[in-house]
Amino acid sequence: MRNLFTLLRTDLVQRLRDKSVIIFAVIVPLALMGAMNLVMGDAMDGDLETATVAVSAPADDQLAQTLVGVLPEIGLDVEITETDADDARARAEAGDAKLGLVIPEGFSSALMAGQPAEITAIRGDGAGIESTVVLSVIQGFLDRAAASAVATTAGANLGLAPAQLGGLAQQVATGESALTLATGEASNEQLDPKGALVAGQAGLFLMFTVSFGVLGLLAEREFGTLARLRSMPMNPQLVVVSKVLSSFVLGVVATAILLTVGGRLFDVDFGSPLPIGVLIVSAVIATTSLTFIVIKLAKTSEQASIIQTILAMVLGIAGGAFFPMSGGGVLGTILDLNPVAAMIRGLGITSGGGGLADILTPVLIMLGFAAVAMLIARVVPDRGAMA
Amino acid sequence: MTQTAAAESVTGHDGNVLRVDGLVRRFGDLTAVDGVSFTIAQGETYGLLGPNGAGKTTTISMIAGLIAADEGTVSVVGEAMGPTKIGPKRHLGLVPQDLAIYPDLSARENLTFFGRLQGMAGAELKARVAEVLELTGLTDRAKGPTKDFSGGMKRRLNIGIGLLHRPTLLILDEPTVGVDPQSRNQILESVENLSGEGMAVLYTTHYMEEAERLCDRIGIIDSGTLQAEGTRDELIRLIGGVDNIQLTGSGDTAAAAEAIRSMPAVAQVNAERGLLQLTVHDAPAAVASIVTTATGSGMELSDVQISRPNLESVFLHLTGKALRD
Repeated sequence: MRNLFTLLRTDLVQRLRDKSVIIFAVIVPLALMGAMNLVMGDAMDGDLETATVAVSAPADDQLAQTLVGVLPEIGLDVEITETDADDARARAEAGDAKLGLVIPEGFSSALMAGQPAEITAIRGDGAGIESTVVLSVIQGFLDRAAASAVATTAGANLGLAPAQLGGLAQQVATGESALTLATGEASNEQLDPKGALVAGQAGLFLMFTVSFGVLGLLAEREFGTLARLRSMPMNPQLVVVSKVLSSFVLGVVATAILLTVGGRLFDVDFGSPLPIGVLIVSAVIATTSLTFIVIKLAKTSEQASIIQTILAMVLGIAGGAFFPMSGGGVLGTILDLNPVAAMIRGLGITSGGGGLADILTPVLIMLGFAAVAMLIARVVPDRGAMA
Repeated sequence: MTQTAAAESVTGHDGNVLRVDGLVRRFGDLTAVDGVSFTIAQGETYGLLGPNGAGKTTTISMIAGLIAADEGTVSVVGEAMGPTKIGPKRHLGLVPQDLAIYPDLSARENLTFFGRLQGMAGAELKARVAEVLELTGLTDRAKGPTKDFSGGMKRRLNIGIGLLHRPTLLILDEPTVGVDPQSRNQILESVENLSGEGMAVLYTTHYMEEAERLCDRIGIIDSGTLQAEGTRDELIRLIGGVDNIQLTGSGDTAAAAEAIRSMPAVAQVNAERGLLQLTVHDAPAAVASIVTTATGSGMELSDVQISRPNLESVFLHLTGKALRD
């Protein structure tokens, strides 16, 4: 144990002095996150802008005025400009308003009589999702008003008193729905685009970070120190174990830094530290297990770098490091078993408030991946640095 | 460099620090080492002399437990050596042919690291590191990264790491290859001191002069086989105790060669374009009559050289090729 600690400590000291670990495990991924955020910033920004609406509504029409009054209350930042019909159209076409609405004369009476009533909507340039939301609200209002008219007509046919008909119409038009959708705290395994970017890049660069252990072993051979280490009074396997442990420590530290700093830079909350820590450790175990295979295959630093890069890019891209990947059947199952994908999914769960019990599946996927990689490493013939 | 502390007095049951018995190592169809056997006693310096590719480093790799032998055994201080053996490696110090130091660590950090792996710790380790830094002349450069060292400084540190834990057996694999003359002399002096302090030394080289200067006994190895072993004088006696005389000149060298060949002291004559190379019994006594015979046969001499046989002659005699071939 003492020898293992001595080997590990010296290896970490050299890695830090070499500085390449700091550059490739922390600085480069953070820089890449920043660059991708600059390039795709608006696309990743989930905040809705102010919906500017130019409205032409008859002043003496009760329902039209009610509709105009409802729009600022829909939970979206809506800026209403009341004007005439031509100006409403002109503003939307000129892009001064994201949406132009023209409510015709006799709107209320037509609606209550069950006759067709048409609101003209003009979407301006760059209308965006905000105008779609406003239109959805208007459509909902119209549906309710129409339902109210139908209910009133049916009540009259049944012989209800005028006072009762008025109450019925009011209830249908403005009453609460009998069915409600409750939104709980449970996570939905989905990170927002910025969260996915940070988690994906952390997962991708974790693959590179753990490769420093393998490169360290090959450096021992290039320095000539591997022969000397093998002549020391200790189990020669400690040399390999120390490199794997070195990869593990570097992986945990670098990933924790990336998620913490990336989270702060991009205003992403990944959730509770404990389950995040468990996810990081599981992901590092999974990716570090691959180094046992690389150690057996690579004879030189160049070979190790090539193998590790291929593994990192394949697992990183398939895991959603750059954009979400999904598939059905066998392909979907393979994608799900990817440790990078499992980590991102796990962070999605924690960011939605999930705890240790909720991340069991991604954790088991990552540990299972590690077990399979270790089994493969045992059967692969040793042609690498220790051969 | 001067070693200041005596090595621990430890030997095997037979009194030897190292016993190598019938070592064989194959790489595919190539038999790199084929039945090598020898022993080294405490305080003895044993040289393995042979050209590049003779099997010296492979032999050392098996002795140091870096690779397993296909056949044969190695015992260090009576304990069987192998890649997974820990006990015998405590008695071993290895100085590999290639530098084996960490470039990003300082000399002190390199020594401390390997000292810890050898089981040293605390004040003992600190004191010994300081001692070895002094020994190798690196005290003033103890803190800087070794990547900034000169080749000679790196070589000295490489040896210092091997000496650090005062091993019973020190293995030096061609430690002077690529070293400047000044550093080389320092290294040779330090090795000379080691055996005087009780350390057994296994020294491989393809430099005849180093083997003659340092080694109590020498094993001549070629093509993986130990061709002969013994002291320098014992090895030279193997070739019959003859000397070499070289006559250079002009005139009738062919007639001179014929006349000299008939002389009783002369064992062999090679004539080539004004040059006669003679193998002679007791050259000092025979040289005067040989010169007289040559000039009397019409050869005009410009130079006469007498050379005593050396390990190069022995190697040539045993293998039919020069050491540096």
